[in-house]
Amino acid sequence: VVGASRGETPEIRRRFRVMAFLASAGFALLLGRLWQLQILQGTQHLARAHDNLLTEIPISSVRGQILDARGRLVADNRPSYDVYVTPRFFSDETLERLGRILALPHEQLEQMRRRIDGTEGLARYRPKRLLRDIDRDQLARIETARLELAGVRLEWTPQRVYPMKSVGAHLVGYLNEIGPGELQARRDEGYAPGDLIGRAGVEWLFEASLRGHDGRERIVTDARGVRRATEELRELGLTHLLAGGREEARAGHNVTLTIDFDLQRAAERAIGRYRTGAAVAIETDTGRILAMASRPGFDPNLFTGHVSPEQQAQLEQDPRRPLIDRTVREDYFPGSIFKALTALAALRDHLIDVDEKLECKGRHELGGHTFRCAHAHGWVNLEQALARSCNVYFYQLAERVGMDRLADISREFGLGAPTGLGLNGEVGGFVTTKDWYHQNWKGGFRLGFTLNAAIGQGNTKMTVLQAALLYATIANGGRLFVPQIVRRVQAADGRVLQEFTPQLRRTVGVAPEHMAWITRALAGVVEDPRGTAYGVKAADGIRVAGKTGTAQVRPPKRGAEDASHAWFVALAPAEAPRISVAVLIEHGGQGSKVAAPVAIDIVNAYFRSPEVRMAAAPEAP
Amino acid sequence: VIHTRRFDWTLAVAVVAIAVLGMLNLYSATWTSRPQLYSQQLSWMAIGLVGFAAAAALDYRHLERLAYPLYALGVASLVLVLIVGRTANGSRRWLEAGGQSVQPSEFMKLFLILALARFLHSWPVAEGRALRHLLIPFAMVALPVALVLRQPDLGTSLILVLIFATIVLLTRLRPGAVLSLALVAGLAAPLTWTHLLKDYQRQRIMTFVQPASDPAGSGWHARQALTAVGAGQLGGRGFLHGTQTQLHFLPERWTDFPFAVWAEEWGFVGSAALLGLYLFLILWAVRLASEARERFGAILCAGVAALLFWHAFINIGMVTGVLPVVGVTLPLLSYGGSSVLTVLVGLGLLMSVSLRRYQV
Repeated sequence: VVGASRGETPEIRRRFRVMAFLASAGFALLLGRLWQLQILQGTQHLARAHDNLLTEIPISSVRGQILDARGRLVADNRPSYDVYVTPRFFSDETLERLGRILALPHEQLEQMRRRIDGTEGLARYRPKRLLRDIDRDQLARIETARLELAGVRLEWTPQRVYPMKSVGAHLVGYLNEIGPGELQARRDEGYAPGDLIGRAGVEWLFEASLRGHDGRERIVTDARGVRRATEELRELGLTHLLAGGREEARAGHNVTLTIDFDLQRAAERAIGRYRTGAAVAIETDTGRILAMASRPGFDPNLFTGHVSPEQQAQLEQDPRRPLIDRTVREDYFPGSIFKALTALAALRDHLIDVDEKLECKGRHELGGHTFRCAHAHGWVNLEQALARSCNVYFYQLAERVGMDRLADISREFGLGAPTGLGLNGEVGGFVTTKDWYHQNWKGGFRLGFTLNAAIGQGNTKMTVLQAALLYATIANGGRLFVPQIVRRVQAADGRVLQEFTPQLRRTVGVAPEHMAWITRALAGVVEDPRGTAYGVKAADGIRVAGKTGTAQVRPPKRGAEDASHAWFVALAPAEAPRISVAVLIEHGGQGSKVAAPVAIDIVNAYFRSPEVRMAAAPEAP
Repeated sequence: VIHTRRFDWTLAVAVVAIAVLGMLNLYSATWTSRPQLYSQQLSWMAIGLVGFAAAAALDYRHLERLAYPLYALGVASLVLVLIVGRTANGSRRWLEAGGQSVQPSEFMKLFLILALARFLHSWPVAEGRALRHLLIPFAMVALPVALVLRQPDLGTSLILVLIFATIVLLTRLRPGAVLSLALVAGLAAPLTWTHLLKDYQRQRIMTFVQPASDPAGSGWHARQALTAVGAGQLGGRGFLHGTQTQLHFLPERWTDFPFAVWAEEWGFVGSAALLGLYLFLILWAVRLASEARERFGAILCAGVAALLFWHAFINIGMVTGVLPVVGVTLPLLSYGGSSVLTVLVGLGLLMSVSLRRYQV
């Protein structure tokens, strides 16, 4: 048998050597490739292997608290528990069980089932949020049944809460989810999709302080994206990869307001008697805002994170526009509260002697027009004219003062420009000038406009905050402050980062004695038996000075009885005012009857506070 | 009569060494996710070693007579696969019997080697083979290749063709036949591409040529394998410490990519050692082929050498990214009973030849 193939066999044997050579060459090629991959490119491949398994996850920071002037929590955080499921490890049966445990309605369960069934591919390994912010009872039931709920996970996130509910809603503000446009614009500040951001009030104004800084943590995940425990990593010798991979979250700073929520609540209760309105209480010597109330309000708890579309629509479509902050966002004709400025303009340039009497016959004729007064006041001096709010006296004063001086003094006291509080889209109001009438009225400027301007019935407008600030400036001898709503910013550990001291905007160019005289004269509004607010009394014998205003406006709807905006600005105590309170009730009617009692309630609440009593004690008889 | 003094310890040690490394590697690849595979493989290894011993003990020359019946049995089982076979992952490859499943295409590799060896042994052509002398060997390979392609199983078809080509090129061919073979190969390539390959197979090859064309699919698998191999660096990341393996970034860890597991955990040093073991086994087989007493034994050994070489070369080539991903197992490292049994019986045949080469 062997012999038969002798001719071919040696040749085959030669070829075996070629075969051995080729096989060796093939393996040499593979070895070269391994050299390239493992020795030359090994470092890069190792880095890629590490990239595969290292993931950075954010650690959410806790937003700073907002506290009122007495340290009570106005905005806080609580843990909110969300239910997540990983579709890959979650079964229909588990869904049924979850539904039973939490007593979920059938439709909701079906909706969840569809969401889970609709997940495919790798997404099935990614946890999906099924329920957010479950209550304590639900939390306890899930915890108890944890072992029967494969693929179910609870995650908590801090949830903003406003313990004061609707009290101070406008000034505190609220949060909601950052929009795509903003996200683009504020990427450098570290915002991520789904982050909440301050939308109004102090939440908005102090966003940068309150927000805090998210931390991050480096974790190891496997190919399914499942996090691996630290012990496992030790097993794999990977713990060194996690070193330095953790950056703790830094909590946001706490913000203490100048607002006293007792006073705030009292102010809201007081204006709550009416449909819409606003009230601001300012500390005269500092410009600090003690209360600023806008009615109607809203509950910021509804907004934060997840306002339902119905609630959102309801708030936006409410004809009373509850989201508008009426203390700063709206300006109003001042009516007679403007008269203090007219008087100051006249006094400043010595255009009137305080004892000079002018006659009021209930009407004033000018250029074929009749300008009316509430009564025929007879012969009145400036003090009586202010107390009784005599229009005719001020018409005559207006003829001496002129539009330019009225505009000038208005600006001097901060009208026509925002106060600098910077809150809730504050407007600056409006100061009329001759030029403005020339440009905007057919026939241009006429003296009649000055007459109306002098009694606050022209086109000049101011915000309620500006009104309170204006009277505070008169009461404190001419120091126009930038109003403040925040007292200090503190780090989470209590360290004071920023203390806001009173900030003077300017000292107005009016002699202090003129302002002191006006303050005294304003006491007559409530004390002069013929004063417009005579009989309005604060508790505990505290004297109040003030000024009523009844700004005539077009009725909001036909047939409304008295469409006038009711104003009252109170200064108390009258002899050395510490607080300036401006109240405006939209379409409320008579300032004296409607706004004054509201202001008095706020004044009373202020003097009820123990600190104020304590401070006032040495002066008491 | 077998001379125990001449027992081929070298071959036996090399086989056992690779089998042990294979088990070690399989443990690392499966212990976190499919630990039961390890014990199954262990039992197949045991059966395989019995097969090895039986093949070694059997005088291979008896197989010359059995070669054609075995070949026929192989073809018949391949036909049976297409009729009643079990389908998994879109491919009909397995026959089930008594709870066990076997993959006849694996055994077909040995049957083809035996059949070719018998044919070439029985029909010597002293003046060199012309094309017409190769028509029957052609038919011998074409029939199982066609059946295997129908499953479809590209890797196994490729191995069958390569074993055939290797064996044929070892014989004395006339220049015309060489030319014709080259021509046939040249013509077959585009026809294979257009007619025989399935879409997903073409896709895999395209992905190899242009890895960016499929970043998430098979390209992703291939890249993860490269990362695993490269991350092993010089000394490896340590047994059970390869993150690509242990955190499951590496796909097909116990079937197609066990070499990546090995390379990640044992590094260049370990990889070179494993390559060395395979090469040693192949060269040993070639040496046995050259020392065999007659052509049947020579071709038998050359066939087994070709089987080992092409499996190892293609598998490692695809893991290291020099060849496209076609499903070819790595002998004794890949999980699978039929594959283990085929390889061990093949090595047993080498032993059988080795034990009888000095016989008088």
